[in-house]
Amino acid sequence: MGPLFPQELISEEINILIGFFIGIGFGFFLEAAGFTNTKKLAGVFYGYDFVVLKVFFSAAITAAILLFFLNHFGIMDISLTFYPKTFWIPTLIGGFIMAFGFIIGGFCPGTSICAAVTGKIDAMVFVLGAIIGIFAYAFSFDALWKDLRNSGAMGNVNIAEWMGISDGLFILLLTVVAAVAFFAVTIIQKKVTANRDYEL
Amino acid sequence: MNKSSILLVVLLVIGAFGTFIIDTTQREPFDKVQPCDLIDIIAQTNKFVTTDELARKIMSDDPTLTIIDLRSKTEYDKYSLSGAINIPLENLSEEKYEDVLNQDVRTVIFYSNSSDLAVKAWMLTSRLTYKNIFILQGGLNRWVETILKPKPPKETALRTEFEMYSFRRAASSYFGGGSTVGETTIKKKVALPIKRKKKSAAGGGCD
Amino acid sequence: MNSYLAGIFIGLFMVLAYYFSGEGLGASGALKSVVVASVDAVNHDYASNASFFKARVGGEHSPAKTWLVFEVLGVIAGAIISAAFAGRLKIEIGKPTHITNKKRLIAALIGGALFGIGSQLGRGCTSGMVMSGMGVLSLSGFIGLIGIFGGGYIIAYFFRKLWI
Repeated sequence: MGPLFPQELISEEINILIGFFIGIGFGFFLEAAGFTNTKKLAGVFYGYDFVVLKVFFSAAITAAILLFFLNHFGIMDISLTFYPKTFWIPTLIGGFIMAFGFIIGGFCPGTSICAAVTGKIDAMVFVLGAIIGIFAYAFSFDALWKDLRNSGAMGNVNIAEWMGISDGLFILLLTVVAAVAFFAVTIIQKKVTANRDYEL
Repeated sequence: MNKSSILLVVLLVIGAFGTFIIDTTQREPFDKVQPCDLIDIIAQTNKFVTTDELARKIMSDDPTLTIIDLRSKTEYDKYSLSGAINIPLENLSEEKYEDVLNQDVRTVIFYSNSSDLAVKAWMLTSRLTYKNIFILQGGLNRWVETILKPKPPKETALRTEFEMYSFRRAASSYFGGGSTVGETTIKKKVALPIKRKKKSAAGGGCD
Repeated sequence: MNSYLAGIFIGLFMVLAYYFSGEGLGASGALKSVVVASVDAVNHDYASNASFFKARVGGEHSPAKTWLVFEVLGVIAGAIISAAFAGRLKIEIGKPTHITNKKRLIAALIGGALFGIGSQLGRGCTSGMVMSGMGVLSLSGFIGLIGIFGGGYIIAYFFRKLWI
C-alpha cells in the first residue's frame, strides 16, 4: 500500500532514483506541451494562447481523480504524502509576487529549468534571477519574512471539506468548470488571434 | 477544439463523474453496516470463547493468546486474569493499542465482569474490521463460577460433565482458586507489545 | 503535442510521485536546496545559525541530496530528450520581436528574482504548491492558484508592452 517511501517500503536510494525517472517524465511532457516557449506561457494572460491553462488544469484534474480512487480503494493513503499546509496570507501574497514574476519574467521555475537546458538564454537568466531571489529571501528572512511566512496558519485543509461538500462532488465541479473554460478559451483564442497575428 | 481534445476532456469529465458517484453511493465501512447486518453479527456464536476454553489456552501457555481486560485500571489492579493487558473500554480506540488489536496472527480475547463491555468492544472492533477477536462468555463472573469455584455435577449427570468438572478442579488449583478464592493469583504482568511501523508524512515538496 | 494529453501525462507522473515517494512534483524547492547547500558549503557556521538555513542543514546528507533535486535533474534530462526529438534544441532568446534582447534579459532576471522570493514566501511555486496541491485538494493550492493566475490577470494590462 502506498505511498511506499514514507512507510519505508523502499530504500532512500531507490526513492531518489524513482524521483529522477519521474522527473524525466515531467520534463518530457512539459517540453512537449510547449512550456519552454515564453510567448506561449505569457499568452494565457493576453488571450492568444491558452496552453498553460489547458495543461495545468488537465494535469491537476487527472491527479485529483486518480488520487481519489487510489485513496478510496485503499491503495494509497493520501494523509501520509506531501500535503501542502495552508497558510493563506503568505500564500496569497507570495502568489501575487509570483504573478509579477510570471508576467515580467515569462516563466515559472519548472518551465524555466526546461527552457534553460534546451537553449533559451532568457530562461537561463530567469533561473539565475530565481536563485538570486532565493538568496535575497534567505538573507533577509529574519528581518522581513519570518512573521509573515507563518501568519494565517490553518493546518492541513482539504478544500472540499472546507466548503462543506464531498471530495467527489468537488472534483466533479472542478472538472465541469475546467471543461467549460476549455471550450471558452478556444473561442477567445480564435477571436483574439483573428484580429492580429501573434508570432509564437 | 479538435476531435482528440474533445475526447480527452470528455474522458476527464467521465472520471470526475466516477469520483462523484463513488463518493456519494459508497460510504466508509462504518456507515455501511446496516441494522440487519448488525443483528447477524451479534447473533453469531463463534465470537464467544467459553471460560473452559480460555482456561485451557492459558494453562497450555498458548503463545498466540492476547487477553484484554476492558475494566477500569483499579479493577484490573485488584484482580485480573494472568497475562491480561488492561485496556479500559473508553481507551480502546486509542492509536497506541491499534497494533495489539488490529492484526491477524494472534487470538485476542476481551473480557469484563460480565459480557457487556466485551460485547461493546467487540462490536467496535468488528466494525473496524479487526480479525480474530473473541469475547469471554459470561466474563469474570462466569470465570469465578466455573473455573475458580466449580460445583460438582449431580450424580446422575453425563460422564462428560464429570470430565469437565475434574478439568475445572485442576484449573482451579492452577489459577489458585478453590479454598483461596478471591486472593490475587500470581500473575505475569504483560507490557504492551507495541511495534509500530514507522509512518510519517513526507515533508518537502516545493516549500 | 495535444495540450490535454500532455496535461494528463503530467498528472499521471504526479500520481506516481505521490505513490512511490509521497512527494508532489516541484521545481523551486530544488533551487532552494541548491542555495542552501552552497551557503552551507561556503560558510557552515552562518548556515547553522541563521533561521532560514538552520532547519535545512545538519542532516546526515548534504542538503542538496533531496528527492526534489533528483527529480529536477530528471526534468532536465526529460526536457532535453523531448526537445532533441522535436528538433527544438537551439540557443536563442525567446521573446516577441519588438522587444530588444537586453530588455528581455533584464525582465527575465527581475521576474526570476520575484518568482524566487514569492515561491519561498508562498511555500511553493506553480508546480510544487499549486498543481500538486490541487491534486490532493489542498486549500493552499487553490489559494496559490488565485494568487498567481488571478494576480496575473489583474496586472497583465500594465505589462502588455512586454508581450504584445
